[in-house]
Amino acid sequence: MSAADLARLQFAATTGIHWLFVILTMGLVPLVAIMHTRAACTRDPVRRAVRERMTRFWGQLYVINYAVGIVTGLVMEFQFGLSWSGLSKFAGNVFGAPLALETLIAFFAESTFLGMWIFGWGRLRKGVHVTLIWLVALTAYASAYWILVANGFMQHPVGYEVRYGEAYLTDFGALLANPSALVALGHVALAALTTGGVFVAGISAWHFLRGTKEAELFRGSLRLGVWVSMLASFFVVVVGEMQRPVIERTQPMKDAVLENSGVAEAQARLVEEHGPGDYVPWQDAIRISMDVMTIIGNTVSTLTLIAVVLLWKDWLIRRRVFSYVLVAMVPFPFIAGAGGWVVREVGRQPWLVHGELKVEDAVSSVGTASLAVSCTVFIALFLALAVTNWTLITRFALRGPEATQLGATEPLPERHTEAPAELTY
Amino acid sequence: MSLETLWLALLGLLLAGYFVLGGYDYGAQMLHPFLGGRTKRTSRNAALDAIAPFFLGNEVWLVAFTGVLFGAFPHLEGSLLSGLYPLVVAILVGLVLGNAAIQLRGRADSALGRRWWDALIVFGGALPAVCWGLVLGLLLHGVPRRADGSFHIGVGDVLTPFVLACGLTTALLFTTHGAAFVTLRSTPEVALKARHLGVALLRAAGAVGCLPLLLTLFGAGAALTNRATSAVLAALLAAALGCAWWSLTRGHHVRAFAATCCATVLPVVLVGAGHYPYVLVDAAGGGMTIGHAVTDGVTLKILTAFGVVLIPVILAYQSWSWWAFRGRTGDRHPSYF
Repeated sequence: MSAADLARLQFAATTGIHWLFVILTMGLVPLVAIMHTRAACTRDPVRRAVRERMTRFWGQLYVINYAVGIVTGLVMEFQFGLSWSGLSKFAGNVFGAPLALETLIAFFAESTFLGMWIFGWGRLRKGVHVTLIWLVALTAYASAYWILVANGFMQHPVGYEVRYGEAYLTDFGALLANPSALVALGHVALAALTTGGVFVAGISAWHFLRGTKEAELFRGSLRLGVWVSMLASFFVVVVGEMQRPVIERTQPMKDAVLENSGVAEAQARLVEEHGPGDYVPWQDAIRISMDVMTIIGNTVSTLTLIAVVLLWKDWLIRRRVFSYVLVAMVPFPFIAGAGGWVVREVGRQPWLVHGELKVEDAVSSVGTASLAVSCTVFIALFLALAVTNWTLITRFALRGPEATQLGATEPLPERHTEAPAELTY
Repeated sequence: MSLETLWLALLGLLLAGYFVLGGYDYGAQMLHPFLGGRTKRTSRNAALDAIAPFFLGNEVWLVAFTGVLFGAFPHLEGSLLSGLYPLVVAILVGLVLGNAAIQLRGRADSALGRRWWDALIVFGGALPAVCWGLVLGLLLHGVPRRADGSFHIGVGDVLTPFVLACGLTTALLFTTHGAAFVTLRSTPEVALKARHLGVALLRAAGAVGCLPLLLTLFGAGAALTNRATSAVLAALLAAALGCAWWSLTRGHHVRAFAATCCATVLPVVLVGAGHYPYVLVDAAGGGMTIGHAVTDGVTLKILTAFGVVLIPVILAYQSWSWWAFRGRTGDRHPSYF
């Protein structure tokens, strides 16, 4: 493998795994915020207790998931400088600004407020505590916006001019309103909400299959999950389609590959414009990913629509087969999300900044040996973390609300068992 | 002050903030097996409880530093991170493991599982602490830059007495700083233990810290552009360590922590002010100046417009989070990590 291939693999592995966790983070946090708000607004103490347990149960799953999201995000931030110094050399004046603003506006606030929310149970006033989780949700989406502004510049560079082989920012407004970023943000946000909704609905259904004691808690969760995933999955398909005209206009090669026609003509045109070279990305991967995403999107959209109808008189719970379908649906939005990522990012190849900078020209002059070592270490680390994290999410999802540690003060009974032991010291 | 100097100062503020806040995290991580507290039968650990509410908010200072480095100084970013490749990767590996371990330790079912996470927490504190020290040492000493401005550090560049001494000093400094923080935050009996550890560590940090100083005086250490400023900063660092030792032995915990905060900030200031107007020096005395590192003027103006609003807001909500979780931790506080 060449240095460029290794750097590319390292970046793809980091981003890909990051995305699989981010999609659930973004999907769950608004639901947790809604649950927390409802709990805070409930007067009846019994119902309020149920809704608070609900918030803590889903909140804990969200927080466990966040752990891998933040560490992969941390590594992402360094990747540009580590292995792609050609990008900062060419586009640093333009591309760096949205990344800097993302950290200052979004990531900083998201992490600080989440830390406060996790440890704020029983310590902060209710209104403040609820506000915190909404701020976490808001900043998560703000973060997605700025990242997509940076990514949109890679897909369809706007608002800049090249002087002496270096890009300079000329129109900040154009950079912020890049259609390639805005439509993608809508699609990504809806995909995340679909994932979160299906996740909540699926796990709630599983608890009904097991005959849970927390029927009220999971009935509420199921309703919320089914409604959110139904609405989000309907619009995710619509907004996804809205991206096609943007792609057609800005990335003719990606469009040709998706249409499966005109690839040779697009190649000829690009050779004419940018000189000899292979401008065709990995066609099979893109088409298969596109098909998988479309099929899953339409299926989830249809099934959740049926599920909403079946919420009437609790048919969704009373017929076990429906519950099994909901449980089985949980992994599919993740697969579709990975597919969407492949279409967008593999479809961008061989460009790092479309029409301006090729991936192979941007790689740092780091030795192949260092890259091979770091690539192996990072991939092994992230895979191990992903597996551990998903194991933990599954374990705590299946155990149910009584095993929730988030917001629980330390169980006092343990202190009784300790008292006699202390006497022997 | 020009706009670019202002952004260099902001970059310094973010890195200094990370050194202070991340520094006590790493210190507490390294010390946590010795400062567990009495509740051996539960999963609680007093040192980890002490850092818990601030942990997520501390690590982002590093992310913000990198973001601003890319946004305001893209030419420095590309050269610096790829040049220090092995060390940056090591720091990241440590951060990933330590960060994940702190957040997931409490989810372990068995004592054995917790021991694994505990080992990773210590490792994830020690590795970044040592590697940041090595990075500081390399930056102070100067890196082997080529004609095109790029550089690559090799084993030979790191394994010099000066760089190694800087690595060890920084690790000890962070550990001391962590001990001072636990002294401030934990129950009295844990705090007492942390205080004793802190005093011993301060002596070690002071002794090892003499090495880089002596090496520099004999010409085998830092190659600083501004000698007078650097000498003042080095003297301040020594004074901060002395003040920390004096306060800790006499039980002035707040003063001791303030002193260790200063001691962790000063190395960052030393790298910035000692080399100014260079941001990256080579051993031959040349280097990359701030003018070469900074982004285009148009971009910098836009960033400034955002920065004027954002930086006070960030400082305000971070201060709020410190205020909201002030005071000592106890067994009845909600624990999660």
